[in-house]
Amino acid sequence: MRRHTFGRTATAATAAALTALALAACGNGGSGDGDPGGDEAEGQTLDVWIMQGTNPSADAFFEEVATAFTEETGAELNVELVEWADAHDRFVTSIAGGTTPDVAETGTTWTPEFADAGALAPLDEYVASAGLDADLVEGLVEAGTYDGRLYGMPWYAGVRALVYNTEIFEQAGVEPPTTWAELEEAATAIKAELPDKIAIAVPGDAEFTVYPWVWGAGGEVATLEGDTWTSHLDSPESQEGLSFWTGLAEQGLSSAGATTWRETDVLDAFAQGDVGMAVMGSWTPGAIIEANADMEGKFAAVPIPGKDGGIAPSVLGGSHLSMFSTAENKDLAFAFIELMTTGELAERWGEQAGYFPGQTSLLAETLESTDPLVAPFAQQFVEGGGSVPVSPDFGAVQAKKTVGVMMQSILSGSQDVATASTTAAEEMTSLLNGGG
Amino acid sequence: MASTLPAVAPTGTEHRPGPVVRRTVGRSVAARVRPWALLAPALLVLATLLLWPLVRVALLSLQDYGLRQIVTGESSWIGAGNYAEVLTSAQLWQVVLPNTVGFAVAAVSCTVVLGTAVGVLLASLGRLARTIVSSAIMAAWAMPAVTGTYVWVWIFDADRGVVNHVLQTLGFQAQPVNWFTDRWSFYAIVLLNVVHHGFPFVAVTVLAGLLGVPRELLEAAEVDGAGAWRRFFSIIVPQLRQVFAVVIILSTIWDFKVFAQVFLMPGGAGTNREVLNLGVWSYVESFGQNRYGFGSAIAVLLTLLLLAVTVVYVRTIGKEEL
Repeated sequence: MRRHTFGRTATAATAAALTALALAACGNGGSGDGDPGGDEAEGQTLDVWIMQGTNPSADAFFEEVATAFTEETGAELNVELVEWADAHDRFVTSIAGGTTPDVAETGTTWTPEFADAGALAPLDEYVASAGLDADLVEGLVEAGTYDGRLYGMPWYAGVRALVYNTEIFEQAGVEPPTTWAELEEAATAIKAELPDKIAIAVPGDAEFTVYPWVWGAGGEVATLEGDTWTSHLDSPESQEGLSFWTGLAEQGLSSAGATTWRETDVLDAFAQGDVGMAVMGSWTPGAIIEANADMEGKFAAVPIPGKDGGIAPSVLGGSHLSMFSTAENKDLAFAFIELMTTGELAERWGEQAGYFPGQTSLLAETLESTDPLVAPFAQQFVEGGGSVPVSPDFGAVQAKKTVGVMMQSILSGSQDVATASTTAAEEMTSLLNGGG
Repeated sequence: MASTLPAVAPTGTEHRPGPVVRRTVGRSVAARVRPWALLAPALLVLATLLLWPLVRVALLSLQDYGLRQIVTGESSWIGAGNYAEVLTSAQLWQVVLPNTVGFAVAAVSCTVVLGTAVGVLLASLGRLARTIVSSAIMAAWAMPAVTGTYVWVWIFDADRGVVNHVLQTLGFQAQPVNWFTDRWSFYAIVLLNVVHHGFPFVAVTVLAGLLGVPRELLEAAEVDGAGAWRRFFSIIVPQLRQVFAVVIILSTIWDFKVFAQVFLMPGGAGTNREVLNLGVWSYVESFGQNRYGFGSAIAVLLTLLLLAVTVVYVRTIGKEEL
């Protein structure tokens, strides 16, 4: 009997051990990387990771890039498309196993994190010798600079603005708002006229839709002084912005469901024609029409209004192309980066994906567009671009969902703005300064 | 003397009394070595695949191990620092552990009770009906956790979900309710999801056990005047003790480490800290922030906790059988 018991304990122990493995099965990869480096690029292969989903016709695009790249350098191009959702984990495991690609697309908030870990190679000299340093979009350079060196080559970026349903606006007889008071009036009018619609979506789990209201009231997310970060989410200005934004939901102008919405849920509801206004990205118009072809021509955008007029800043979110320190032929890697981020290919990528290019001279052309779904975003991009704190620890703030927690606790009514923002500011300050 | 004897005795020597003792010694060494030799390849594979990662996890849990350490390969040992941080976290004791343990207890009891009931039902059905019912429950079992979770989320959706719609039409509530913001209603939905997904395994396992219960026993009991409940608790349950042990232990382990069913729910990925469970909490606190050492410490503690639960359970069952 005893023997029996032991046997089963051992089985259970194995099963329990498996549990632990499932939780911890991270961080062990293979090892060894390797294209043998030669002096000439011919016969070499450049491994590149690009995020999936940005450009709907990525496959055709990269076939063309590969041809152009081989013509220019003689080397082969090996592009792997990676899902955004898996990408961070894949980067980390590949860094651990030494199997990183030569070049990869890195989200702007990841670049400082990987640079801090020593996984990326600085690009300053290459950029300078290519004569590009004066021609890169400022906000993206700032986001890609860590410890005074550039680790992320600006590739493309998008920005969020206020997207509205023109049909709903017509039925309610309102105009696109230019101040907060107007915005509130418009939302109230929509709710009165169309009680079944969501006048303005105030999502609880979408941090990038929150910052514009903090900045629009004159507040700050966090500032760096010397070596110390301080979050100002609890300043009177920030609290005023948060009170306005969450107050719209409190007045019943949003929906109960929005308390737990992410940006994808906002997009779904907007595409169904259920939403009057929402903060959405410059890349979403294509997705809205793809989800519901009936929406074509029934929505437009304006820059997010500041409290008393003007434009409330919104985060420039985008991607860099980064070179990994494991790249064997760094000149070849930069040749690819330059090919992608400048000139015709960069412009076309932006057009196809609904993003703005990271090269200032290219951006100027985009800004001349009169498309009602491009021009307002372009204005927001140039006149109202903001950046989240450029710190390798901002990833920790995002992972802990500091801002989402604050928003959801206010929207669900479990905490008031003052309490929730004070807690969030304390947590953000601690995380940005490397505290656990 | 020993060398003159055949090392491995052929069968022909058996009836000679003299060398018997030595022969058994020789055979017993061989007999002791042989199974291990045969097991060696499998053990080696297990040690590489299971034991070594386990040891690594234990070692990592004693380090401050982040992205920088991964790249540089340097290690920074901090002793029991990670464990101290885990065990002194107020969130762990006030939210995470109560959620995890409370949910596991509720989910295991519901799964086992419902599963057993369905198992008994299946056993009493005819061939055709049994095929239909078991195919139906297999569909619930076969559904991936992610898909199942989204279906439940859709059912309870605040604006377009069928539950709110029905409740509002019947006049039980005036405004749509967001069921995912409250700790209790959130876990009630998780419970529905997990039980729905977990009971078919119990039902099928119990059915297999039920078919092995000797028919004469049940008939004899019936002749002696035992009712259905009496027959169930006095004959079937004792007969199925081993089956229940397996089913309960496995369910406990599964329900303790529920992750996708919570993480994918609105607010479950960390924006609602009241509903964090051990799986999501460790993910948010460690892997999301690249603190692999801290995550390993949580994994080690979870393993020990599950081992303790299992040992206690196996001991109890073992004693009852004696």
